[in-house]
Amino acid sequence: MAVQHKAKGLQPNGPAGKLTLLRRATFDLTGLPPTTAEQDAFLADNSPDAFKKLIDRLLSNEQHGVRYARHWLDVLRYADMDGTDGGVMPANGSIYRWRDWMIQALNEDLPYDQFVRAQLLGNRYGGRPTLTVFGTRSKPEAVPQDQFALGFLSRAALTGNDRDQDIAIQAVETVSSAFMGMTVACAKCHDHRFDPIKQSDYYAMKALFDPLVLRRVPLATPQEIYSYGKALEAYRRQKEPVDQAIEKLIAPFHDKLYAERVSMLPPDVRAIVLKPERKRTEAEQKTADDYFPVLRIDPPKLKEIMPADVVKAYDALLKQQREIKAPPGLDAHIIVEEDSARLQQPTYILTSGDPTKPEKDKVVAPGFPFQPADTDFRYGRREGFVDWLTDKENPLFARVAVNRVWQWHFGEGLQKSPSDFGLLGGRPSHPQLLDYLASEFTRHNFSMKWLHKFVMTSAAYQMSSLPNAANQKIDPANASLWRFRLQRLEAEPLWDAILSSAGELDLTIGGKSFQIVKTDSKQSIFLPKDGTFEAKKNRRAAYMTRGYIPSTEVMAHFLQSFDVDDGRTPCPVRTQTITAPQALFSMNDPLIEEATAKLAARAQKAGDLPAGVQLAYRETIGRPPSATELDRALSYVGGDPAKLKGLAWLLYNLDEFLFVP
Amino acid sequence: MLTRRHLLRLANGFLGTAVGGLWAADGRLPAALLPGTPRAKSVIYLFMCGGVSHIDTFDPKDNKFAGTMMDAIGFGDNNAPMKRPVIPILRTFKRYGQSGIPVSDWFPNIGGVIDDFAVVRSMYCHQTNHFPAVIEHCTGKPLRQFEHPSLGSWVTYALGSANKNLPSFVNIGRPSSPVQLTGGYLGARYSATPFQPGDTPIPNLVPPATATSAERDRQMQALTELNAQFRAEYALDSEIAARVQAYELAGNLMRTAPAIVDFEKEPGHVKALYGIGEKETDDFGRQLLLARRLVENGVRFIQLCHAGGGNGAWDAHGDMETHAPLCRAVDKPIAGLIQDLKQRGLLDDTLVVFTSEFGRTPWSQNTTGRDHNGKGFSTLLAGGGVKGGVIEGATDEVGYKAVDRPHYISDLQATILQQMGLNYKKMDFNTNGRAFHLIEEGTGPIQAILR
Repeated sequence: MAVQHKAKGLQPNGPAGKLTLLRRATFDLTGLPPTTAEQDAFLADNSPDAFKKLIDRLLSNEQHGVRYARHWLDVLRYADMDGTDGGVMPANGSIYRWRDWMIQALNEDLPYDQFVRAQLLGNRYGGRPTLTVFGTRSKPEAVPQDQFALGFLSRAALTGNDRDQDIAIQAVETVSSAFMGMTVACAKCHDHRFDPIKQSDYYAMKALFDPLVLRRVPLATPQEIYSYGKALEAYRRQKEPVDQAIEKLIAPFHDKLYAERVSMLPPDVRAIVLKPERKRTEAEQKTADDYFPVLRIDPPKLKEIMPADVVKAYDALLKQQREIKAPPGLDAHIIVEEDSARLQQPTYILTSGDPTKPEKDKVVAPGFPFQPADTDFRYGRREGFVDWLTDKENPLFARVAVNRVWQWHFGEGLQKSPSDFGLLGGRPSHPQLLDYLASEFTRHNFSMKWLHKFVMTSAAYQMSSLPNAANQKIDPANASLWRFRLQRLEAEPLWDAILSSAGELDLTIGGKSFQIVKTDSKQSIFLPKDGTFEAKKNRRAAYMTRGYIPSTEVMAHFLQSFDVDDGRTPCPVRTQTITAPQALFSMNDPLIEEATAKLAARAQKAGDLPAGVQLAYRETIGRPPSATELDRALSYVGGDPAKLKGLAWLLYNLDEFLFVP
Repeated sequence: MLTRRHLLRLANGFLGTAVGGLWAADGRLPAALLPGTPRAKSVIYLFMCGGVSHIDTFDPKDNKFAGTMMDAIGFGDNNAPMKRPVIPILRTFKRYGQSGIPVSDWFPNIGGVIDDFAVVRSMYCHQTNHFPAVIEHCTGKPLRQFEHPSLGSWVTYALGSANKNLPSFVNIGRPSSPVQLTGGYLGARYSATPFQPGDTPIPNLVPPATATSAERDRQMQALTELNAQFRAEYALDSEIAARVQAYELAGNLMRTAPAIVDFEKEPGHVKALYGIGEKETDDFGRQLLLARRLVENGVRFIQLCHAGGGNGAWDAHGDMETHAPLCRAVDKPIAGLIQDLKQRGLLDDTLVVFTSEFGRTPWSQNTTGRDHNGKGFSTLLAGGGVKGGVIEGATDEVGYKAVDRPHYISDLQATILQQMGLNYKKMDFNTNGRAFHLIEEGTGPIQAILR
């Protein structure tokens, strides 16, 4: 870096002030603002390694995992909800466990190779059998919670049977971009135009994941399983007589309509439909199923041909039937597993990536780009791939990871397009630095906490962010890193900072997501069933629902206006816009209105008015006001404690509240 | 003091940061501008969610086929070919105006202004189900393999905004799909701004009740002073310049937007024209009056989604009669809009489009309703240089398939773009290593309906 500075005639910035560094590092590692007490403690520590100690403290704070999980979840396209026409993500009620697994994994400093293996295999130790003390070979036993990491793969399916092969298709596209830094998505339809990736490579990789199907894992004690079973049987026994009564009542009317419809079918179909189910061939069964919508007879149709008194009796029975409620199902997590039948099926190239258009003459064997000749698939397709991917000898694996971490600290990666190290992605700004970091990261056993500390204790991280005209002229984009980047708070830390300064932030780790959007209740079939949302709304914004369904808004306007994606596709870099709706939020949103009252109440308790102003400043922008600022603030307050609320509004609207220097 | 142009230049050059207001101020595709003055300054795009039955409204057919069985493809997953019964058209059609274009008894008011409309009876698309068809309709792509933007976003991207105090692409009413609003790869700032019903069309437009305007003025003064040092230190940072601009724009919005949705001063006879105050038409009438006021304020693309949410209420599988109240809800307001625009001299440069994602089949699924039909449907256009009182193209004799001069949905988009002064062939955006166009299929603008 220094070489670049010298060569270009740049004068790099000196270190930033202590409180600036504290605020920068605290938001960076935990996504939270430093409290007044933390400011006091850091200022009081005059030891030369005070900043190192600060980083250690922040890395051991369990909120660190919440912050960095959010970064990774963007890259791995986490969404609480997803759907298409006629489909809804089966994992929508349990996917948050993947998010919570990740928070724990990062807090425990799970080595990066294990972090990736767990999400691809459900086992951080991989799938290669090892020799036991008894001299037998067996696969390493999985840590039980790693099954939650499989949410990464199960999240993709939008129908129970994964009709559109989303598990495999999304696995190819997410794994290649997130962990390999390659964009293979275009090879879904044609050979990559710029990088050496063929269409067959795409489908070879797809074959690694093609055998996967969804599986529900009940999360219940034996007692709960028995209780549920009992309740279910009781429900069936209660419902059965009503069902039978209905069947008997509608039989003559149903049979009449059914016969009419059957008679309208083409003769060949009619013959199939009239056959008993067990005598139909598989193809015939499919034809019969295809005609289900035509042959289905709904209550309104029956009522049309019923006499009035029968309609009345029918309605009464239907009401009775509705009132018998099924017991709430057992809690379950949705994972993926290999299906033995699917393992036998070949993978074909799909025309334009359309699952209904397999090119039967183009069978593809499992594999991946840059696959070595000696790849070992004996213990499974994914296992063979993951073995290669996470190997210390794989240069891309560590490079892609350290570049992401660098980006999350500095706002921009050394390689600007962190999910594309190919020809279109451009060249890294400091290739040697990237290589060095990658090899050190590997040597330190893929410890992400080591990497954070190593990067943050560098001079580059601690530079002041102040611009100067001379440097600006030579290197306006700061490509040579002559200053730290002025960062706009992302949506989540902004939300957290507002609630934190108001003294309202709930820091509980994990659990279901919460929802601040009012969704259209008519679209409830797309939404997770009752009780899936957390009721508390003052939690960290990392737990705020995100996602997409076609017919109703499910993501808060707040998240959207501060550039959070819906999680349908990987988001390696968040755009950072500065817009009028954001200003309107800071000025007028009910959240700000409530927070100003709460912060004012805290300031009032601080003592006299100057003390109140001091506290409000320190809680919002992490530093005390300058003498001029204190004067101006006090003149605004004008001796009226009630005006502290107005002052709080001013602070939430300060540029320095939204920007971290 | 930095000039606005200077700010924008600063804003565009740094760090790949997307800096913008709520909308783009300047058009990004000068090369796509056609010479001369554009025929249309604004578009009012009326989108009926769920699929209007063309044969029961603007494309009458002989009932001689009623009762016969047709080879049909079902909707959704049910792709097995099967025989389905053609059901009779129960509407009566009347020839209206000088053109004598027949319109069904569901749209008597539109009939009254039919001489202003061109009726394109030969539209088609590829998709057969709602969400894919809606996405195809607004992005011009039958498959959503990339984050394709919607038509309104392309218009905004190409032309920029005509009024810096308002967004350039506005959506009113619940859409069938969020994709109808998306700026996609063009960027979020080209997305539609959804205007909500009521007096706060944009979230957070109105300060909380506790904030008096005198107090806000004092606060804004204090805010400027308290920001002063930071802004001086970071004056060279494009983000700070953008931040100043964002607060200015937010202030402008707070001042101007509520006045646009405040109908207090609209005379009674104008409101009556839109059916405001009548139970069935009040809702849509208000939305159309708002659309006219947005046109007057330079908004380029106003998209109105009627009966959206889920599949859309126009999705009449069960019974065609479910169309009747929907027709009543939109008929008078649409006719009122045309008359109002005309009397103000605005119709000449405002293009009004009436369409849905597809039409409906001649047959039923053993009901008294009709299935989805992408193979043939009708779209109406008025104003903005469109010839009134003409019919373009035709479906076959039962109304299933566009056969005479068929127009893919992109032809409608090409027509709109041309009337707005844009050469659609030169409208592209580079991403994923290639150039994408809004229009990649079809035969281009429907010249036969243009003046």
